[in-house]
Amino acid sequence: MRRTVLKSLLATAVLAATAGLPAAQAADKEIVIGGSIPMSGVFAFAGIGIHAGIQDYVKMTNDAGGIEGHMLRYVPEDSAYKVDQSVAAFKKITSQNKVNFYYGDSTAFSKTINPELDRAGSMIMSGASFATELNDPQKFPYQFIAGPDYTQQFGILLRYIAQQKPGAKVAFVYSDTEFGRDPIESSRGVAKELGLNVAIEIMTPPGAVDVSTEMAKLRRARADYTIFHGYILGPIPEFISQSRQLGLQTQFMGTFWTMDNSTVMQMGEAAEGFMGVMPYNYYYDDSASAPMLEKIRSMRTEYQNVPYIQGFLSAMLYAESARRTLAAGQEMSAANLKAALNSIENFDTGGLIGVPISIRGNTIPVGRIYRADVQAKRMVPASDWIVLE
Amino acid sequence: MDFDWLFLTEIVFAGLGAGGLYALTGLAFVMIYKATRVVNLAIGEMLMIGAYLCFGLATAMNLPMWLAILVAVIGSGMAGALLERVAIRPMLGESPISVFMVTVGLASILVGVVELIWTSEPRRLPEFMPSAPVMIGEAFVPPKVFYGFLVAATLIAVALAVFRFWRGGVALRATASDQQAAYSMGINVPRVFSLSWTVAAMIAAIAGVIVGAVGGISSTMGVFGLSVLVVVIVGGLDSVLGALVAGLLIGVVESLAGGFLGGEYKLLATFMILIVVLLVRPYGLFGTHEIERL
Repeated sequence: MRRTVLKSLLATAVLAATAGLPAAQAADKEIVIGGSIPMSGVFAFAGIGIHAGIQDYVKMTNDAGGIEGHMLRYVPEDSAYKVDQSVAAFKKITSQNKVNFYYGDSTAFSKTINPELDRAGSMIMSGASFATELNDPQKFPYQFIAGPDYTQQFGILLRYIAQQKPGAKVAFVYSDTEFGRDPIESSRGVAKELGLNVAIEIMTPPGAVDVSTEMAKLRRARADYTIFHGYILGPIPEFISQSRQLGLQTQFMGTFWTMDNSTVMQMGEAAEGFMGVMPYNYYYDDSASAPMLEKIRSMRTEYQNVPYIQGFLSAMLYAESARRTLAAGQEMSAANLKAALNSIENFDTGGLIGVPISIRGNTIPVGRIYRADVQAKRMVPASDWIVLE
Repeated sequence: MDFDWLFLTEIVFAGLGAGGLYALTGLAFVMIYKATRVVNLAIGEMLMIGAYLCFGLATAMNLPMWLAILVAVIGSGMAGALLERVAIRPMLGESPISVFMVTVGLASILVGVVELIWTSEPRRLPEFMPSAPVMIGEAFVPPKVFYGFLVAATLIAVALAVFRFWRGGVALRATASDQQAAYSMGINVPRVFSLSWTVAAMIAAIAGVIVGAVGGISSTMGVFGLSVLVVVIVGGLDSVLGALVAGLLIGVVESLAGGFLGGEYKLLATFMILIVVLLVRPYGLFGTHEIERL
């Protein structure tokens, strides 16, 4: 018995030592990006895109010689979009690697892991969450969002509406989830400031199938614009087709997670004219100001969804923070990396975002309004880039 | 301020529409429980499989929608029979909680199958119902809800007739009321088990196609089954009539709560009903008293 225990102990020690070796040797000259990526489970459609985006940026950078002599190394683990599994992945990855950057898969994970990030003080994190709550550099000093938070997304939509139709009546339709409720209260105030009238707020229970009751309410509010939030696809198409049957004149709009090209096109005919806010250019944008998208298209000929762009941009911002920290001869600590990230001013993303970006707090408060063109099966820009101050 | 009667009417219609779907799925649940005494928590996922089969046949294989639905319903029935044979029948005689846990496992396997084949991306079924608005008096009833209700009502009527007059239906009722006696009367009880799972899976598939047509399909649409669980507990696990009444009742109450109080009160209303019914009639509104509780 004792011999078996000894043997297994020895085996574990040897394994640990050899596994640790390459990492330890290379540690001085590499930058590690860890990630709890939802490769399976309900959020896999996003996770697979995010994974590919980070992977491609890392490859592109390493092929070009790395960053100040450092190679990027990406260490992902599947999180299945479950907080416990995400945390386990985080523990595993950070205990086996000297992680500088981390990609988290959800708001819940970002909040759960925050004390750990503060304690470690060695890495900064972004992720799939656009939660308004995370946009607080005091509470979340080592995190950021590679885009506008949900309130800012609403802000961009509301600014557009105020421009198009001053004093317009607006309806908010949202799901009864943390995700859905996120921007509602704060956006009420924003709408008021912009002189808009929030005619009705309709909350739908999570997983609601039939929305006829909600539709009966929405119809009576006679809103000029209806903003959906807290959904991916359903029940948005049903709202739209019912309101078309009723001849309702309201412009439907959505936020980031609804706005992927493939998601909107799933709505079929209901998609026609659907609008929404998107902080990034779409994969197929071939304007001269987007050379990075050209590169992406040469690497991947198939359409890549917006989570891909988000993952790609996240990796780009990680790399830029590392570059600035290393160039200044500073230690790669969380504080220095975050300071470097916040020093980003008028930064050219190669056209992933159509205007130069600055990251002052924890977000990039930029976006553009797009409109669905069902015939072309594409989202086409309906406004200029809107930058919130 | 005048009370908006039209609003109330529309909301009640919407509730009846949703209730029809609850009742239909509840019927599938009760059928399995009645015949086999299995609390089938995978009912929502069986409904999902039906919807996805239909989606796959209509999109990947380009079948016309009516044929896709037909094939999906038959396919689901076969899948139901297979599930019963592979996962449920070997559990005969085991404690109810074990069988219950098997159905929990089944649910997660079915979700896995859907995610493997169709990924977890939410999708839409092709439109197949008429889209002209339906007006009952002055009240607008969304066409999908209206036709969904018609289909549900027709199917329920057919199922009730089958229970009453067809030999297989009578065998099913006999098995439900006394297995031993049914055996001794020469009823092939294992075949009744198989039949009940097959028919329940077929009914669930139809409910799935309607639910999918209204709300879209995704690998999480099985949660619909949870609302149905409430419906059948309120109605009485082994009562077809209970499933019908409770389905409509909960549909309408949810709709009224959502319409007059707000979306956040929908589930609250549902579970209030559940608690009250469990307190007053623990075996459900129309259930048999000696139901074995888990």
